[in-house]
Amino acid sequence: MDAAIVLNDVTKQFPGSADVAVGHLSLSIATGTITVLVGPSGCGKTTVLRMVNRLVEPTSGQILVEGTDIRSQPVHELRRRLGYVIQQTGLFPHRTVADNIATVPGLLGWDKARTAARVTELAELVGLAPDLLDRYPAALSGGQQQRVGVARALAADPPVLLMDEPYSAVDPIVRHRLQDELLDLQQRLGKTIVLVTHDVDEALRLADRIAVVNVGGRLEQYDTPTNVLRQPASAFVEQFLGAERGLRRMGLLHVADVTPSGGAIVSPTDTPATARSAMAAANMTWVGVVDDGRLLGWVDGGDLNGQATVAEAELRPFTTVVQPATVLREALDVVVTSPMLAAAVIDPDGRYLGMITIDQISDGLR
Amino acid sequence: MSAIGEFIDYVTTAGNWTGPKGLLRLTVNQLLVSGIAVVVAAAIAVPAGLGFGHVRRGGLAAVSVANIGRALPSFAVLVLAFGVFSQAGRGLSIWPTAIALTLLAIPPMFTNTYTGVRGVDPRIRDAAAGVGMRRSQQLWKVEAPIALPLVMTGIRVSATQVVATATLGAWVGFQCLGTLIFEGFAQQNDGKIITGAVLVSVLTISIEVALSKLERRLSPWATTPSGGPVDEPPDPTLASPFHPGRPA
Repeated sequence: MDAAIVLNDVTKQFPGSADVAVGHLSLSIATGTITVLVGPSGCGKTTVLRMVNRLVEPTSGQILVEGTDIRSQPVHELRRRLGYVIQQTGLFPHRTVADNIATVPGLLGWDKARTAARVTELAELVGLAPDLLDRYPAALSGGQQQRVGVARALAADPPVLLMDEPYSAVDPIVRHRLQDELLDLQQRLGKTIVLVTHDVDEALRLADRIAVVNVGGRLEQYDTPTNVLRQPASAFVEQFLGAERGLRRMGLLHVADVTPSGGAIVSPTDTPATARSAMAAANMTWVGVVDDGRLLGWVDGGDLNGQATVAEAELRPFTTVVQPATVLREALDVVVTSPMLAAAVIDPDGRYLGMITIDQISDGLR
Repeated sequence: MSAIGEFIDYVTTAGNWTGPKGLLRLTVNQLLVSGIAVVVAAAIAVPAGLGFGHVRRGGLAAVSVANIGRALPSFAVLVLAFGVFSQAGRGLSIWPTAIALTLLAIPPMFTNTYTGVRGVDPRIRDAAAGVGMRRSQQLWKVEAPIALPLVMTGIRVSATQVVATATLGAWVGFQCLGTLIFEGFAQQNDGKIITGAVLVSVLTISIEVALSKLERRLSPWATTPSGGPVDEPPDPTLASPFHPGRPA
């Protein structure tokens, strides 16, 4: 994985300020990933982002974008290769939605037909109805404006997208939807996205890697969301992440991330004695019945008395089932509310993969 | 005869409309001197306002210009300009009036242009720079068009003020609608006085209405009815900086 953006020992001190806004920051951002800079307000995270497109010039240090020093080309040319999405979108109020999206193609001198085709394509990509294109931004809802902001940033297909608190101006439910849209967009486009936010949950949701930034632009931790949650590098990170780290991590992990136990499993043709020893080994009072890789149901230990094979006992359906793609937090909910404190893991083809209980979930979090 | 009757009598006399001191000539002169003043003032004030607004400097200058403009008695400037031009032997020309009116027209245009550019939302400036516009593109493609409604208001305010004040030109011998009023007083001709006053009013109001219309046509976005569709579920943040009036 090569780096799309590299910061080498970058410092920014604003004139007239005693403290540095960003001090000796080094950071390498991998191509095609979403990196989220998260930290309290005033920590310098926005300054870091704005140094990348030179809206702020570093006092010292070097920044490379795709291997080239950002000072080695005219600043407007650099910026046309770095899509920029800002808080409350910064749309041009005097231009229609279509003209807003066409801003960078216009600067690059694209012809009319190419620009129009691109605008149509982008509107579809970000989910804007075509009839909105002729309106002015003021006639759009907050969520729609945000989509226009993203479309404008993507217009000339820049390799990098810089997003500064993009969802701070929309309500939580719309924000959630826009975040989903961004993840979906990223699946298709694979851009290098750097996003700044003060919202920990947004960071955890979106990031491939999180950079937790402290006051003065100090990088406290730079790791995947699950690693940051599992092992905060400092008291600051731990405090910043807030309560319920375990639950939040489970919100990011999936059933596939934990190893299910085989559980007490017998086949329909087994004898009650085999079933009892399987139950004893797993310390359970019931046994799952699997035939040809498929879970048929379960049999209570008491029902086995006097039967010749497991198949003759009453087979009860297994209602607590999860899939490998189930979010671990949901799986935990299923497990703790099931009468047997266990859930069967079944893959989408119906094959039985094992049982998970609280023990397995807990092991998976270590 | 009543004053109204004298007025109707005056304007319905065909001979009053023609000739070197006829109503048509005087109206044209009034418009001509006003036009010169507005164009010259705009050529000075608008670029200056754009420039100072773009670099975000000169706030004090803008306020000072506005205050001086408000305090400056048009009549005094007119007499002063007349004095200066008389020295050059050109007292009885269009120029003293044109210069005085130009000075009168500059402050509203400069202040409004400056305020319009200076007042562009910082986020929009940021976006303009961030998408890769050069400095000049930021000014001409973003700041100036967004300031345009305010610039046009400045021009409209100036123009109406100028057209009305041009009447005073008659005092320094410039043949305009004011001439009717001054002569009317001297000759105790009520019809003439009222004709002058009515024509000045009609001109001023027409200019006001015409420029208001132009203002709206040039900036359709500024009059877009605010409040688009509401996100599902309702989005309380719809009150954008451009339409603060929308109830959340």
